[in-house]
Amino acid sequence: MFICASKPSILADVTQPLIEEPSIDLADAPPAVWARGLVRKFGKTVAVDHVDLSIAPGEFYGLLGQNGAGKTTTIKTIVGLLRPNEGIVGIGRFNTWESPTEVKARIGVLPEEFNLYERLTGAELLDFTAAMHGLDRAEAIRRRNELLDLLDLAEAGSKLVGDYSRGMRKKVALGAAIIHRPPVLFLDEPFEGVDAVSARLIRSLLQQAAQGGTTIVFSSHEMHLVEKLCTRIGIMVAGKLTIEETPEGLCRMMGVDNVEDAFIAAVGGRTPDSSWYAT
Amino acid sequence: MVRHLVGLKARLTWNGFRSDRQRKIGLPVALALLTWAGVWLARSHYETAQLLSESDPAALSEYMGWAALFLFLVWVTLPVIIFPLDENLDPQQLATLPITPNRMLAGLAIAGLVAPSTVVPILVIASNSAILSGGWWMALPAGLIYIGLLAVGGQLFSAAISGILRTRRGRDIATFLVLGLAAGSFFIYRSVSSSVAESGVADAVLSQPIIGWWPLIPPVATQKAMIDAAAGDPFTAVLALIAAGTGLIVLALAWRRLLGWLLTTPAQQSAPATKARRNGMATAPWGVVATMARKEFRFYVRDPRQRLVWTGTVIFVGLAVGGAVMNATGFFDIRGQEWGPLVAPVLVLFVGLPIALNLFGWERNAASYLFVLPPKPHQILLGKNLAVATALGVETILLTVGLAAFTGHWTWVWLAFPLTIAAVGCQLAVGNLVSVLTPLRLPREGTDVFAQSTEQGCLAIVSQTVSFFAIGLLLVPPASVVVLTVSFGEVLAPWIAAVVAIGWGLVFYLLSLFVSSRLLGRRMPEVLAWVQVV
Repeated sequence: MFICASKPSILADVTQPLIEEPSIDLADAPPAVWARGLVRKFGKTVAVDHVDLSIAPGEFYGLLGQNGAGKTTTIKTIVGLLRPNEGIVGIGRFNTWESPTEVKARIGVLPEEFNLYERLTGAELLDFTAAMHGLDRAEAIRRRNELLDLLDLAEAGSKLVGDYSRGMRKKVALGAAIIHRPPVLFLDEPFEGVDAVSARLIRSLLQQAAQGGTTIVFSSHEMHLVEKLCTRIGIMVAGKLTIEETPEGLCRMMGVDNVEDAFIAAVGGRTPDSSWYAT
Repeated sequence: MVRHLVGLKARLTWNGFRSDRQRKIGLPVALALLTWAGVWLARSHYETAQLLSESDPAALSEYMGWAALFLFLVWVTLPVIIFPLDENLDPQQLATLPITPNRMLAGLAIAGLVAPSTVVPILVIASNSAILSGGWWMALPAGLIYIGLLAVGGQLFSAAISGILRTRRGRDIATFLVLGLAAGSFFIYRSVSSSVAESGVADAVLSQPIIGWWPLIPPVATQKAMIDAAAGDPFTAVLALIAAGTGLIVLALAWRRLLGWLLTTPAQQSAPATKARRNGMATAPWGVVATMARKEFRFYVRDPRQRLVWTGTVIFVGLAVGGAVMNATGFFDIRGQEWGPLVAPVLVLFVGLPIALNLFGWERNAASYLFVLPPKPHQILLGKNLAVATALGVETILLTVGLAAFTGHWTWVWLAFPLTIAAVGCQLAVGNLVSVLTPLRLPREGTDVFAQSTEQGCLAIVSQTVSFFAIGLLLVPPASVVVLTVSFGEVLAPWIAAVVAIGWGLVFYLLSLFVSSRLLGRRMPEVLAWVQVV
């Protein structure tokens, strides 16, 4: 927060959507992110099982689940990296698999794995991404420099991404995901392996993006952050989307006072036998 | 512990075969090809030895010594030069386990033999034992030490090259070292085959005796042990076996030392140029296609393996010039030929193929980053093609000018440029289709930069061989038109030959771009699944 507070004008600019969506009545507006009857199988394993999802514009949606519950697979099918076996998915009025270019122009993706170009410098990665999104050169340079400053990567911008620490990679990947100011952001574990200072920086940036009207789909195991950031939570269990609620509603439903306990109750988690080491 | 490591390698190989589509196709192909190669080698070895034992027994022991050394050198160096090494267990992952260094080394060495390629030396060693059946009691210990030498020698050489590649300066040296080895191997092969053809095997091996060097060359010492055992001289046989065993221990100790260094020394990344550091990619030219091409260029320079592909020109130039200078090799002679400079476009058949035929494999896991970006498939292909075409264009022009200077004939130099456009167009036409339809997974860069499973290497070689012939066939019409112009008294006007060559290359390229763009648009998830490193 202390870092972001010093650069309010840059933040406001960065989080302002680049693509002007047509002005339409909200009642008729299509969901920002949607899936209908989504099924994805790997061999005999059903990773995503008939998921219906509808995320409104401007929502900060937390997609939660245990490891292997199908969160990443769901996100990959929506962004066009994994073909669904059944069902349709899309962004706004575009079906991902019918209009892939239109969908990709409207999204920013922070992948779970660090699948970045390790032999580009941070600055080059941002430039490359900006060019791929059709930004003109002057605008790309301006946004790249702003983002490097904002993400505390100004000095590291000239180093290869392969030399970055885990937290720096997360930050540069986030910068690349938002450089074109997408109306929809997909963030898979954005806080995993990130130090406290960087985590706060990323959190502030995301909060401001959401306040600026960006729809954020957020997958994380950091429950306290989910509780702080998300306006709605979807919980996946064994490929099915079993619960969709606000954080408060989820706590009420489970009869607990925090999202972590509510999540554990929702997925049927249990405390391990603590006597194992003693034996 | 050794047993566990061998079991682990076997399990990984089996699991990889069951779960990976490339390996399901590649493993049977690799096994069939390698078994065929092994049987052919073993039979040739047996027949040659039989012939020598009947006609010139004195030459037999020299031949056996050379055969052992030749197989050892091929096994050790070939994976690094052209054929990928089998994907070995990563010592980095074992470093935290409570395994003593000696056990780890033994485990890694033996586990390295759990691979389809092992079938070749086993068949040759079996035929070797059959030749020297009189020394049956020595066959097993000598054979085991020889296999140990292959396992440890291969690992040591690969680790040494990997170690050199860990430093920036070392990478520059290693590139030329590996290229030099490749070119050197070719000329050794040509030299051996021509001297055998001229004077026969017996005279050739007798003129270069090696068996007397057995105390210093462990693979030769194993043969010496078997030869002496067969000749009824157990004392010298055991002495030679001890020498071979000592050589194996020395190699193992060197490998152990090197591995220790590799495990504790991080690799240095290539440093971007100062201009790139200052400007990022925001220098001219800009735009989707141009920026994609520039991204590719940076990887050509910064990725040691890609840099190795592009510096492969050195091999081609070496062969062309060396072939001309040493006309005795019979490769080809372009000295004083008017058409000499027109050989340069043939470069496309030898340089850049691993990249042009696997445009997305080189993306490795970053393919998932590229595929969530909005450029249209034809823009992605155009950008990558622009980079390949520019690199090939520059290399071909340099070679054309070099050959013109070498031959002293400049008349037809200008015709090399349209022919280059045809050649590059044909390479890209085939490359785009192959890249989209059968992309090949490249290994994650780790301790061993050459690590790749044999079956994937086999698929790569099969794919490249088929593509090589496809590109060659596509080049026949424009090349024929140019030959008609240059060698048959300008039967066709030179400008017609130039137009035909350019038109031919462009038509095939554009056709392929049209088809492969549509295929890529439909197959992005499939391409991604094939190239992502698990």
